[in-house]
Amino acid sequence: MGVMAMSPRRRRRMTNWGLNALTYAVLVVMLSPILWLIASSLQTRGQLASGDYDLLHPTVAAFGQMWKSVDFGKYLTNSLIICTASAVLATAFAASAGYALARVPFRGQKAFGVGIVGTQLVPGSMFLLPVFLGFIWLKQNTPIHLFDTQLGMILIYTAFFTPVAIWFMRYFFLAIPPELEEAAMVDGCTRFGAFWRVVLPSAAPGLVATFVYAFLLAWDELLFVTALTATRAETIPVGIHNFIGNYSEEYAQLMAAGVVSTIPVMLAFFATQRWLVQGLTAGAVKG
Amino acid sequence: MSTHSITPANAPDTPPGTPPAPPAGAGARRRSRRSGRHLAYWLIAPALVFMVLVHLIPTALGFALSFKNLNTFTFRQLFGAPWTGLDNYNAILFDSANPLHSGFVDAVRNTIFYTAATVTGTLAGGLGIALLLARQFPGRRTVRTLMLAPYVVPSFVVAVLWGFMWQSDSGIINKVLVDQLHLFHDRPTWLLGHNSLLAIIIPSIWRGIPLAMLIFLAGLETMPRELHEAAAIDGAGPWRRFRYITLPLLRPLIAVQLLFGVIYSAYQFTIPYVMLGSNPGSDADLIMTLIVRQSFSNNLIGFGAAASTLLMAVMLIWVAFWFRAFRRDLEAD
Repeated sequence: MGVMAMSPRRRRRMTNWGLNALTYAVLVVMLSPILWLIASSLQTRGQLASGDYDLLHPTVAAFGQMWKSVDFGKYLTNSLIICTASAVLATAFAASAGYALARVPFRGQKAFGVGIVGTQLVPGSMFLLPVFLGFIWLKQNTPIHLFDTQLGMILIYTAFFTPVAIWFMRYFFLAIPPELEEAAMVDGCTRFGAFWRVVLPSAAPGLVATFVYAFLLAWDELLFVTALTATRAETIPVGIHNFIGNYSEEYAQLMAAGVVSTIPVMLAFFATQRWLVQGLTAGAVKG
Repeated sequence: MSTHSITPANAPDTPPGTPPAPPAGAGARRRSRRSGRHLAYWLIAPALVFMVLVHLIPTALGFALSFKNLNTFTFRQLFGAPWTGLDNYNAILFDSANPLHSGFVDAVRNTIFYTAATVTGTLAGGLGIALLLARQFPGRRTVRTLMLAPYVVPSFVVAVLWGFMWQSDSGIINKVLVDQLHLFHDRPTWLLGHNSLLAIIIPSIWRGIPLAMLIFLAGLETMPRELHEAAAIDGAGPWRRFRYITLPLLRPLIAVQLLFGVIYSAYQFTIPYVMLGSNPGSDADLIMTLIVRQSFSNNLIGFGAAASTLLMAVMLIWVAFWFRAFRRDLEAD
């Protein structure tokens, strides 16, 4: 039976099925690299080199070996400490600054808003070079050690991701009805008291989403950590890069390391997805 | 809407001990507004301090460094290195005998191509998938969630993973293209030569699509249905409805993504650096990989600062251009 002979209703149904099938096919294509990552991490080095996978007999050997080839434990610890601390700080700063932008009019508000967007315009290398020289200068001339320390990276990442976090928090504060804090102020709260005791708790999902987003960005950062660390404060991306340099043939371990470094951010993202998606789209949709 | 009274003077339960509320009026409001302003400055202070210390001052210093002769020999002087005027800029832009010049030209060409292809691919792919996911179909929620997964794979893992998949002999991509589909006679080399730019573009698009899709999906969801229905009654087919209703309404979203997509792509570093190494070769070297290599491997800090300044200037021009092109869309909001 040809397409032309079909009734319009039938044809519409066929189109619908076709589009559904296309949707699922696109999903499979989009997910296939991730599935390939997982599949490859569960094979042996030899199977990866030859390309003859045995998917029915997976092995987790690579997940054990990867910790010994490079000091992956060190990188993971550094990443967890640096990203958690800087995401907490960035979220805290963003909560207070975002509240000011959303609710408390002040002179210079517009300039501050423009400045926040402006930070995104500066290429990383532009301020990386002076920061690098500054860290070295501090190390040589003062007892303040920021080069190759977790503290140095935490300070940098906090500054780095605070502007984006501010936009996130501002959106979440705007979504809270102003009556809430007005009522609290009527009941005798100061403006700050209302912010602290009433607004912040009701912005909890926003705080979580902002934290996770800042964490994701910090987890993925490579440029600054490459330049500003040497041996002690290196994070996972540097570790992976070192791994490629030294064990370029150990693809099974590399894939296992890829899986291990993706799991924490995947879990965090999907656990908080509902709010994170609001924050991610709000900036673009609401202007 | 609120059941609470907002005028302080009428507050029924003023805590004991607080001074009687001043007569409601301009004075009280002005005072509360002034204290509010002080509060605002305290609230933005931590963020502001960090932005000044890590963004503003270093950016200014970076600009200053671009006029300095800071290399291996003068490195020990740090910020005290000698001034050289416009020498760095001259060498980069005009000195054809200088290897930095040809390296810079290659990197500019590659970066323009990378940015154009990545942004176009990401927006087109994101829009296409958003249109598919805006329909009703079984498993819609699950599919929407799973479609976000590539965005959560860290860039450095994306680079490692695709670098492995692009392998000429054992990589899955050649296995599919050559051994299964027989599209090529010889196995293409993806990580060297002309193909290597493509090898970083496609993973970048893959990772960028979910975010573009999310934003378009949010836009499609707020789109008034009646417009489409009215147009359908008037006999407009799906393509015409897309072209004359959907696309114009999505324009502001396209504009915002263009702005940040171009900046983000032009500053891309992680994917080429991890997949192709600190020197991706003249076919895939981007501005950022060039700047980092010259600044840190070759200690040409002055060069790096000058190239960064030029890159930033180009981005400022892009923002100005963007603003002119899309000003109307911004005002429409």
